Amino acid sequence: MSALLEAEGLSKIFGARGLFGRGRPVQAVRDVSITIGRAEAVGVVGESGSGKSTLGRLLLGLTPASAGAIRFDGQSFATMRRAEWRRLRRRMQIVFQDPFGSLDPRRRVGSQIADGIAIHRLSPPSERTQRVAALLRQVGLDPAHAERFPHEFSGGQRQRIGIARALATGPDFLVADEPVSALDVSIQAQVLTLLAELRASLGLAMVFISHDLPVVRHLCDRVVVMYLGRVMEEGAAEAVFRRAAHPYTRALLSATPRLDGARRTRRILLPGDPPSPADPPSGCVFRTRCAHAAPRCAEGVPALREFDGRRVACVRAEEIGVPAPAPPDA
Amino acid sequence: MRRLALPVALVGGIVLLALAAPLLPLADPVTQDVARRLAGPMPGNPLGRDEFGRDVLSRLVWGARSSLAVAFASGAIACACGTILGLLGGWFRGLGELLAVRSMDVVLCFPPVLLALLAVTLLGPGAATLILVLSVLYLPGFVRVTYAEVLSARNHDYVEAVRALGASTPRILGRTVLPNIAGPVLVQLSLAVASAVVLESGLSFLGLGVVPPAPSWGLMIRGARATMAQAPLMLLWPCIALTFTILAMNLLCDRLRDAVDPRGAPARRRLRLVDRVLPGLLPAPSPPHGEALLALHDLTIEIATPRGAIRPVEEVSLSVPPGETLAIVGESGSGKSLTATAIMGLLPDAARVVAGAAWFEGRDLLRLDEKARRSLRGGAIAMIFQDPMSSLNPVHRVGDQVAEAIRAHQRVSPREAAARAVALLRRVGIADPARRARSYPHQLSGGMRQRVMIAMAIANRPRLLIADEPTTALDVTVQAQILELLADLRRETGMGLVFITHNLGVVAEIADSVAVMYAGQVVEQGRVAEVFGTPRHPYTRALLAAVPEGEAPPSGIPGVVPQPHAYPRGCRFAPRCPHAAAVCETPPPLEQLGDRQLRCLRHAELGAAAGIAA
Repeated sequence: MSALLEAEGLSKIFGARGLFGRGRPVQAVRDVSITIGRAEAVGVVGESGSGKSTLGRLLLGLTPASAGAIRFDGQSFATMRRAEWRRLRRRMQIVFQDPFGSLDPRRRVGSQIADGIAIHRLSPPSERTQRVAALLRQVGLDPAHAERFPHEFSGGQRQRIGIARALATGPDFLVADEPVSALDVSIQAQVLTLLAELRASLGLAMVFISHDLPVVRHLCDRVVVMYLGRVMEEGAAEAVFRRAAHPYTRALLSATPRLDGARRTRRILLPGDPPSPADPPSGCVFRTRCAHAAPRCAEGVPALREFDGRRVACVRAEEIGVPAPAPPDA
Repeated sequence: MRRLALPVALVGGIVLLALAAPLLPLADPVTQDVARRLAGPMPGNPLGRDEFGRDVLSRLVWGARSSLAVAFASGAIACACGTILGLLGGWFRGLGELLAVRSMDVVLCFPPVLLALLAVTLLGPGAATLILVLSVLYLPGFVRVTYAEVLSARNHDYVEAVRALGASTPRILGRTVLPNIAGPVLVQLSLAVASAVVLESGLSFLGLGVVPPAPSWGLMIRGARATMAQAPLMLLWPCIALTFTILAMNLLCDRLRDAVDPRGAPARRRLRLVDRVLPGLLPAPSPPHGEALLALHDLTIEIATPRGAIRPVEEVSLSVPPGETLAIVGESGSGKSLTATAIMGLLPDAARVVAGAAWFEGRDLLRLDEKARRSLRGGAIAMIFQDPMSSLNPVHRVGDQVAEAIRAHQRVSPREAAARAVALLRRVGIADPARRARSYPHQLSGGMRQRVMIAMAIANRPRLLIADEPTTALDVTVQAQILELLADLRRETGMGLVFITHNLGVVAEIADSVAVMYAGQVVEQGRVAEVFGTPRHPYTRALLAAVPEGEAPPSGIPGVVPQPHAYPRGCRFAPRCPHAAAVCETPPPLEQLGDRQLRCLRHAELGAAAGIAA
């Protein structure tokens, strides 16, 4: 079976006009290729400025790409007409980070969840109430909550409402943009569990965007690590998590504060701040902060290549080697 | 909504009166009776007669008709056209923006009276001309308000979400954007109608509006002006009508603005006189004890709310030995930040300390006067916050801000302070500090701004540093740098550190001891290694299990943190606790168990079950 979504050579340049005044154009995403299989969950991990959120919007066609091609279930984004787009919208949905900004404060949540059903005329108006009730139950809320307004809910509950709204059209592809990073840790785990259950029961393909590698580890099959708009490493979640090959992935993992400090390998402290996406370094974009940087890292943009069962964009991957597998945590 | 009743009734009354003019037993407003010109009040003419002997009351009511009709018609036309133009301009940007917004800028350049003169010359005077002129004049206001609101609304995630659902543009604009911008537009409408009433009178007064003999307030003022010496009251009546209408409209505007703002009016606590004059009425302070640098004893904070007083912090006791780090960890709503602001004496107006003491070097911080507090703040005790952008002054160079912090507590020359500021910036790891000292906050990255905040905090060698979520807004690689810096500084200066965070991993990295807070209370406290190694409170255990780390997938805690006005009577965690039993209906005390403090009635049974010695 072919992949659900294939993107090749995606780039997004935000022009010098508008928000950034007359400054240099910002290269948010550069030459990213990604495929997402049916019912596959892919984590996209990176820090601010890595272009991960822009990538999510590109994959949904909410932002037009500056270069590159995307095919969803064999249909190319570039040649689609308006009517085809509207049919496709039903199949792809998004869940946002901010549980407060993502719901319309002036409408009852039931009517917001029903929006998708109404737009695509998925069920007759008489059955919509039942459908909304079923969706609310599916995300672990009381069907009676449909009559309430968003401000009457806590952050975690709002996030569940956002998920119910996304599920209303029966999508097979979901982009979750930092869906838990605004939530308290006890609620975070609730929402992660819900997403994992929904994924299993509905067979959803999912792109899970996060700045936190451990969060995506249990939910995702595959992880893509991004830095300054480029993919640094891509591979099976466990492999990337246990034996990170790219120096950036390793720094990211070691910087994450851990409960069990003793178990962590020595912390790699990255010097300085990430460079501005408007003025990225030549060659490997990470080389200005990389402990292993060598003169040839500046020579060209390292290609994403096969290495040790995953793909890495680092010319020195062999020399740096792969760390011994971390002992399983107790 | 109740606050809207009065202005709606007033404005409604005026409109109804005007509408009902033909039904009321009034004299004909245009029938002249020159014999009785300028007659005073008499039966049948309660307000007298004007210079042509017409009934003033009747003209006033009929005049309201034309005044209000012109005002409402022009307001409505301007509102409808302006909202549509603004919506299109704000949504489609590009050409639409140019046409909708820039053309309005052109209209704004015309002086209103000139525009009116022009229109009257071309079209002849009359109510229709007036409506046209006034709608054109008020159009830009609506376009601009709508345009600005649409620009901010289109960036909201909920608008993006409806787009992602595949909604058509008219549907998005009509069902999602319009309701969310309706508030400001409505306020603009009532403002426009109010000022249109004034402008209509002004233009009619100048002879550019309603044509005599039809009555209008402006014409009445005009007529009365000529006979001001003989009948001054004639001038008074239309002026009163005009003033009253405008005031009613403005009241409606104000109330409407309050009503459409979902945040409502801010609730401020009324400071009782006794609290201001005699703060000593608080419970008597107990003497300081122990070697701790900071000893917080039974701190309780109360906030008066419309639903009654709440206690978001209750009986919190903490202690920080010199040179150690205490982490206060808890989810949002646990009261951890409020505790820190109370120590600094920076509680918001609505909150007050009702019990407790905070001993710092022999003094109770909670009972100091403002002057003594100010000399401590930024001196012996310093604080850093989560968002360095809003804590730094955007219009001053960062070097000057650090120097300012030094000079607030030490007598040094400006030159010396500037040199020390550069040295401090170097100490907190800012590369090229002399150049960076001349930067403004917006030119720095988030991590660098936080370093500047730390430089300001350590400028006067504080003995206690309170850090409220200092790394939450930063990327993990930058967070690691800041944590390292704070640990270094603490080792170097021997200061105590209170570190407030919701991130348990950060606690494990940086702290010696930890206080776990839940719903305003400390539930478990002790050395970090012990508390995280063998958590004894069910909440601590659940919190640790929720952290995405280790082989097992994280497990959430069912339910949510209760709101302060709905705290359970007994153990506050009981409704979410898997081990809750009947005994948990009584409030558990904070027990001291060796090094550990614990607020759980069932800890002995649970500990035995889990194989931990009590």
